[in-house]
Amino acid sequence: MKIFGNAVIVSILSMGVIFLVLSVLICTIKILVHFMPYQAPAAPPAFSPARSTPGGGAGAPGGSAVGEHIAAITGALSAHLGKNPDQIHISSVKPV
Amino acid sequence: MEFSFSQAAVQILKSTGFSVLTGGEVVMMAVACGLLYLAIWKQFEPLLLLPIGFGCLLANIPLGMMGNSDPDGLLYFFYFGVKHEILPPLIFLGVGALTDFGPMLANPITLLLGAAAQFGVYTTLIGAVLLGFTLPEAGAIGIIGGADGPTSIFLATKLAPHLLGPIAVAAYSYMSLVPLIQPPIMKWLTPEHERKIRMEQLKPISKEVKVLFPIVVTIVCCLMLPGVTPLIGMLMLGNLFRESGVTKRLHETSETHLINIVTILLALAVGSSMSADSFLRWETIKIIILGLFAFATATAGGILFGRLMCKLSGGKINPLIGSAGVSAVPMAARVSQKVGAEADSKNYLLMHAMGPNVAGVIGTAVAAGVFVSLFSPPDAGTGNAAAEAIHQTFNLIAAK
Repeated sequence: MKIFGNAVIVSILSMGVIFLVLSVLICTIKILVHFMPYQAPAAPPAFSPARSTPGGGAGAPGGSAVGEHIAAITGALSAHLGKNPDQIHISSVKPV
Repeated sequence: MEFSFSQAAVQILKSTGFSVLTGGEVVMMAVACGLLYLAIWKQFEPLLLLPIGFGCLLANIPLGMMGNSDPDGLLYFFYFGVKHEILPPLIFLGVGALTDFGPMLANPITLLLGAAAQFGVYTTLIGAVLLGFTLPEAGAIGIIGGADGPTSIFLATKLAPHLLGPIAVAAYSYMSLVPLIQPPIMKWLTPEHERKIRMEQLKPISKEVKVLFPIVVTIVCCLMLPGVTPLIGMLMLGNLFRESGVTKRLHETSETHLINIVTILLALAVGSSMSADSFLRWETIKIIILGLFAFATATAGGILFGRLMCKLSGGKINPLIGSAGVSAVPMAARVSQKVGAEADSKNYLLMHAMGPNVAGVIGTAVAAGVFVSLFSPPDAGTGNAAAEAIHQTFNLIAAK
C-alpha cells in the first residue's frame, strides 16, 4: 500500500513539474513573440502607379517601354470591359 | 590428425545451432518473425519494427554470438550505443532537424495539451506499481504513454535495462496503432458540436523567434531538469541546424543520413536485447497490456484537457487537437485532422494539431527528466541541485 501511495505522490509531483516547466516555456515564447513580431517580407519592387495613357507612354514614369505596356493593357481592358480608358487605373504591373 | 567420416559428421552436427537450440529460442524466433510480418505486410512502423525484429532473430540464433550480452559479438558493440545513451539522443538530433515548431510557437498555449497528455504516463505508473513493478520500472513502463520511442528506450536503459526489449516493442507497436487506438476514444469523449469547431488561422512567426526558441528551451528545460539534457539538448540542436539557415549541410545530414544510420543501429541493438531469458516472462505480457492502457489514457488526458481549454477559450479550441499531445509525430496530428474532417469535411485541424504534437515531444522528454531526477542513482550523473530538490521533496512527502 505504501508503494501505491508513493506512486500517487510521484505522479502528482511530476505532473506539477511538467506543467510548471511548460508554463515557463509558454511565458518565454509569448515574450519572444511580443518583442520580435513577424514582419512580412518586403514586396518585390513594383512599378509606380501610372495614369493610363492610351496611345503612348509619355505620361508614365519609369520609361516609355513600361508606359507602352500600361497603355496596351489599359486599351485591352477598356475594350473588353466597354469602359472609357480614363475610368481604368492601373496601379502596378508585376512581371510574371 | 586423423578424421573418420562419422567423427567429422558428428563434429559438424555438434557445431550447428540445432544441437543447442532451446524451446525459448524457438519461441523468440517466432516472435521475431511476428514482428517482421507486422513490419513488412502490415506496415506497422516498418522503419523500426523491421530491424528490431531482425535483431531479435539474430540474437536468438544459438552460437551466433549476436545477443547484446555476447561479448565480442557485433550487436554487443551496437548495444553500447544504447547502454551509454548515445543513440537515442542522436535520433532526437534528427527529429529536431525534421520538426517545425512554428505551429506551437504560433499558439504556445497548446504546450499545455502536450503536458496534459502525459496523464497517461502517470496513470500507467500507478497501474504498473499495482501489478508489482518497482517505482523505477513503473516509470520506464509509464513513459510508453508518451508515445516517443527514443525517450522510452533512453529511460528504460537508465531505470530498467532488463525491461528494454518489451518496453521498446510495446512503444513502437502501439505508436503504429495510433490511428486505430485514438479515434474511438476521441469520439467517445467529445460531443459532435465540439468536433466541428473551426480554429482561427495561425499567425506567422518571425525567423528570430524560431532561431531563439531552441536556445531558450535548452537553457530553461536543461537548467530545471538537467537529467533530460541529452534528449532536449540534441532535439534543440537539430532544430537550430534547421532554423538558423547557416548550417544547411548539417541540417540535411541530420534529417536524412544520420537519423537513418542511427535508426538501424538503435533498432538492431534493441532487438539484440530480446533474448528468451529477458523476454519470455509474465512481465512482458503485463508491459504489453500496460502500454495499451498508457496510450488510451494519454489520449483521454489530452482530449479532456482540450475540452477544458475549449470551455475556457469560449469555444475557440477544438478539443480533438488534445489527442495529438501524445507525440507520435505526425501520425497523432493526422488522426486529429481525420476525426475532425469526419465531423466537418471542411475543417482543417492538421496545423493546429501539430502544436500539441511537437509539444508532446518536449512534454515526454520533460516527464523522462523528472523520472531520471527521482529514480536515478545519485552517481548516475544527475546529482545536481534541481534533482536533489525533487528527490528530497518526494522523500519528505513520502515520509509523511
